[in-house]
Amino acid sequence: MQPARLLFEDVSVGGVLPPLIKRPTTAQLFRFSAVTWNAHRIHYDKPYALLEGYPDVLVQSHLHGSFLAQAVMDWAGPDARLMNLRWQNRAIATPGDVLTCTGVVVKVELREGLGFVECQLEERNQQNTLCAAGWARVRMPRRDDKATQGAA
Amino acid sequence: MNVSLSIICERIKRELGKSRRLPVGTIRRREFERFAIAADDHNRLFFDDAFARSHGYKSAFAPPLYLSSVMGWEAGPPQESLRADGTPSNDATALAIEGLRLMGGGQELEFHRPVADETDVVMEFSVTNVEFKQGRSGELLVIEVQKKYLDGEGRPLVTCRENFIAR
Repeated sequence: MQPARLLFEDVSVGGVLPPLIKRPTTAQLFRFSAVTWNAHRIHYDKPYALLEGYPDVLVQSHLHGSFLAQAVMDWAGPDARLMNLRWQNRAIATPGDVLTCTGVVVKVELREGLGFVECQLEERNQQNTLCAAGWARVRMPRRDDKATQGAA
Repeated sequence: MNVSLSIICERIKRELGKSRRLPVGTIRRREFERFAIAADDHNRLFFDDAFARSHGYKSAFAPPLYLSSVMGWEAGPPQESLRADGTPSNDATALAIEGLRLMGGGQELEFHRPVADETDVVMEFSVTNVEFKQGRSGELLVIEVQKKYLDGEGRPLVTCRENFIAR
């Protein structure tokens, strides 16, 4: 069971992040396109998406990335700092898919007294198809921190 | 190589290394909160100033992918200037890929500072690479752009390298 406040000292290589499950809907895709000023019709216009050969409207690239970022930040907690994130889209996802974001710790590193953790990330659909692959680097709070690590 | 892909590849190559500095404007809290809601991300750091302060921040701030996910910061082009696929053909960051289908391939992001309400932001945009590839479903171009977001004092906020696939 994950501690209430995850510390660098609690994390080791091979540790896993709690799975984050997302079920995108057409309404979600529409709202995400609206707030990102993304007028690309493949995300909200099903007849057009079919014309391009897709089975339905598509989850946006940036929404896949947002899900992975969310999985990391939810796991690391509010005292951690997300330093880097990268992801690649590998397969399409459409409304009705069940997307599960998972992660595993691949590196822990102390540098100048600060604790950094790297995670490999995946987002897979209900058929276990890899939709997005990613990596994140997080600075974690340490047990002997006197206060939260203000980076703001 | 497909003729149109070849022409477009050469056209994009001519843009390599040319950096454009574009105003993003002033970041507004409601906008980044809407982004968080649309992404189904209810992290209190994005909504609750007191909570954010209790964890070392000055205030609530934008979700990390907010800046690099927004496709345009101006009022936007009129409808008649959109391409058939809905994407703009003439805004400052539009790629010259007329006739091709475009899809986001992913991003590589470095987060330098939190992006809070009322932060003034500018973006430095450049096309950094274009490569012709033979994909599983045919020929395609992989186009890499870089977007550096800076605050009003020139301090980096987010650096983003993004890939697009055009076919």
